[in-house]
Amino acid sequence: MTTDDTVAAPMVHAIDEIVAKPGEGKALLSDYLARYAPGARARGMTLEQILVSPPMWLDDQSNTLVFRWSLADAGAWWQMRFVGGNDPDVAAWWADVDARAVSRRRFFASAPADIERLCDV
Amino acid sequence: MYKLTRLVTLAHPASVSALADEIHALAKTHSAYRQLVAPTLAGSHFGGDLLAHFAFDDAMQRSDFDAALAPLLATPAVASVDGVAYQSGLGGRSDPGLANGVYRVLLLSVDEGIDPALVDRFEAETRTMPYYIPAIRNWQLSRADEATGARRWTHVWEQEYADAAGLMGPYMMHPYHWARIDRWFDPECPERIVDARLCHSFCAMDASVL
Repeated sequence: MTTDDTVAAPMVHAIDEIVAKPGEGKALLSDYLARYAPGARARGMTLEQILVSPPMWLDDQSNTLVFRWSLADAGAWWQMRFVGGNDPDVAAWWADVDARAVSRRRFFASAPADIERLCDV
Repeated sequence: MYKLTRLVTLAHPASVSALADEIHALAKTHSAYRQLVAPTLAGSHFGGDLLAHFAFDDAMQRSDFDAALAPLLATPAVASVDGVAYQSGLGGRSDPGLANGVYRVLLLSVDEGIDPALVDRFEAETRTMPYYIPAIRNWQLSRADEATGARRWTHVWEQEYADAAGLMGPYMMHPYHWARIDRWFDPECPERIVDARLCHSFCAMDASVL
């Protein structure tokens, strides 16, 4: 029997859910990728998935945009948090998003199988 | 309990023990119920070089002591002071006999004009941290009556740990902190209500002061 001492720390996820103002969805997605995503990647985030609901661009109603990012572990989460939380350009970006959105959520998650290890600190 | 906390940044940190001795002696003459005056530990952030914390039985004692302390903190040797005066808020103690541990205080400033119901929720969730993070042995969350320093500090979040590893490890790394509580602080989260400027200060303690 062998043991694996190189088991990776549990990955964590940051999820942005943005309900765009009517007609703004496509432009907001484009700006997110152009203005926010490069800096987020520099802060250690990996963009895993983008979802658009409904799967068509609405002119008179809201599209919901969902971005799922991954981070290597909780330590990487804090690194992202310290850098992004002290960057005025990041704050300005979110202020702009909030002006173009009906609502917005950011939440953090993991796979259920990783919960026990994440809580064992 | 009427409390007073001062986080003192010195022009020349080498003078920290001399000032600590002066403050310590002054607090004795003012019948402080509890006092903790100690150099801050590495890892403090805007936490000063010296953490000075006092508890009194009544507001008048605290006020008299504050007036006597002020000249000591107004000399050229002192570069800046962040501080609060407050009455003990809700808290708990799972280890009231804790000795030779670490005391940590966080001064924070909730934005003006925030819905009081949201502030209540922030406070309730914060007070729940010890339930999920047992490394927090004793704790207290209070609203500031008076504030001085870089912000109009609104809250004082105090905790005690068996050692600094409890603060740097379980407190920081538990998901209840970073994936739940921190959204009140994170400028990237729409729920943020706390100013990004914080005073995070901790020091060694001989016995619990909470």
